[in-house]
Amino acid sequence: MDLVLNVLKGLWESSGFASLEWQNIVMILVSFVFLFLAIHPKFRFEPLLLVPIAFGILLANLPGAGIMDDLTAGQIFGGDGSLAGQGEHWYDSGVLRIIYAGVKSNIFPCLIFLGVGAMTDFGPLLSNPISLLLGAAAQLGIYVAFLIAIALGFNPQEAAAIAIIGGADGPTAIYLTSKLATHLLAPIALAAYSYMALIPLIQPPIMKALTTEKERKVKMTQLRKVTKTEKIIFPVIVIVLVALILPSVAPLLGMLMLGNLFRECGVVDRLSDVAQNALNNIIVILLGVTVGATANGQSFLQVKTLLIVALGLVAFAFSTVGGVLLGKLLYLITGGKINPLIGAAGVSAVPMAARVAQNEGKKYNPTNFLLMHAMGPNVAGVIGSAVAAGFLLIMFQ
Amino acid sequence: MNITPKLLGVFANIYGSNDAMTFAKAALVAVVGFCTVLLILAVIALFIKGIAAVFDKSAKKNKTTNSPITPVPAAPSAPVQPSVELINVDEQTAAIIMAIVSHRSGISLDRLAFKSIKLSEDK
Repeated sequence: MDLVLNVLKGLWESSGFASLEWQNIVMILVSFVFLFLAIHPKFRFEPLLLVPIAFGILLANLPGAGIMDDLTAGQIFGGDGSLAGQGEHWYDSGVLRIIYAGVKSNIFPCLIFLGVGAMTDFGPLLSNPISLLLGAAAQLGIYVAFLIAIALGFNPQEAAAIAIIGGADGPTAIYLTSKLATHLLAPIALAAYSYMALIPLIQPPIMKALTTEKERKVKMTQLRKVTKTEKIIFPVIVIVLVALILPSVAPLLGMLMLGNLFRECGVVDRLSDVAQNALNNIIVILLGVTVGATANGQSFLQVKTLLIVALGLVAFAFSTVGGVLLGKLLYLITGGKINPLIGAAGVSAVPMAARVAQNEGKKYNPTNFLLMHAMGPNVAGVIGSAVAAGFLLIMFQ
Repeated sequence: MNITPKLLGVFANIYGSNDAMTFAKAALVAVVGFCTVLLILAVIALFIKGIAAVFDKSAKKNKTTNSPITPVPAAPSAPVQPSVELINVDEQTAAIIMAIVSHRSGISLDRLAFKSIKLSEDK
């Protein structure tokens, strides 16, 4: 009988149940909620992002799996930071930790930007250049969050890294944080990607609160037709112009514009196809799962981390406010020709934010098609958040 | 050409700091940062306007040069009228039809021209 009990006790102690702590349980529940929001037909919140992130959170909080173990100076640390053993080789780290090197080294963010560039049609922006101002105004949240973070006692580097969540641009957030405040990379990357996925939940109440029904019903007129040559010239000139003004942002914006040139030049269709589909999908899987896997309950559920996540939400909200308010101003200046809802798409989450503007506009006028108009500020937001990151790098690196 | 980064660099030397920052300093950095983003994107917008003007001008010129030799028929690619004439069709149905046509044809709505949508009496 004793033998059986000892075996059962041994089994229990070696299982994950014995070392499961309340923080892990909370994070596992969070991952379930994310999976539900991503998969349930009623929600389907950006499943391409949310499913890998949620599964990463789930994996990281299953004790004993060692999936995010980190080898540092001959010692292996678990995902929660505790000492887990000794190791010699780089491959003694957990499998997701090894993949996470792509995030830390900025390889993934740059490759994601290559794919985003190849998928982005800058036509709406070129046909309506005023969109760029909406993309700039929607960076307001970055600076509001920066001020709040400073007031809360974060140092300038940390404040800048937290604030960039307001750009609603995961790759840019990772890029800036890895250069300014590496120790905050996990919560910032997770907050940025989670909020991007939850845009359909965050933005509509703000858009509704700041606009009148009359404004939301505005039908925008047809966009000017853009020539192929304009589309080819644009990425080349923008990278030259912006990289000369803010050299620090050249890697990110360079890849974005390279991807876009692949798409527009029409002579490298194979490269464009790979950047848009295969490469981008692979990187989304690797980045999503590993970013999610950084959310280990013990290290994540701390006051400072939760404060960062909350500040990220504030940044996101104020960015939406900035875009919508400039949209309202343009509505007044143009005599009602611009629907202020498209201002919210200035936060750079492409194409989620533009889709939200389209859906909200359609709620109030079923014949309204704001998507193409919202894509202008949306892609301008990508450039805007990269420029904002470049400025913060110059200031605090 | 490298004047702007140098200017920002000077600003960074004065106001960018690794130590704790006063709220007033942070506010100044935030304002300058926001203005920098606005300014750079405004410059790009102006640049796009310039390019568009050049292309529109050359397109017009080509059209004028070509017109005496080959009269151009009513341009199918001309900007679409924003209003669509609806005959016995409610707005919601029209919106659905336009979306279906766009989806099936693979042509985005900004390039599709709808003149009217009429309910057919055929049975």
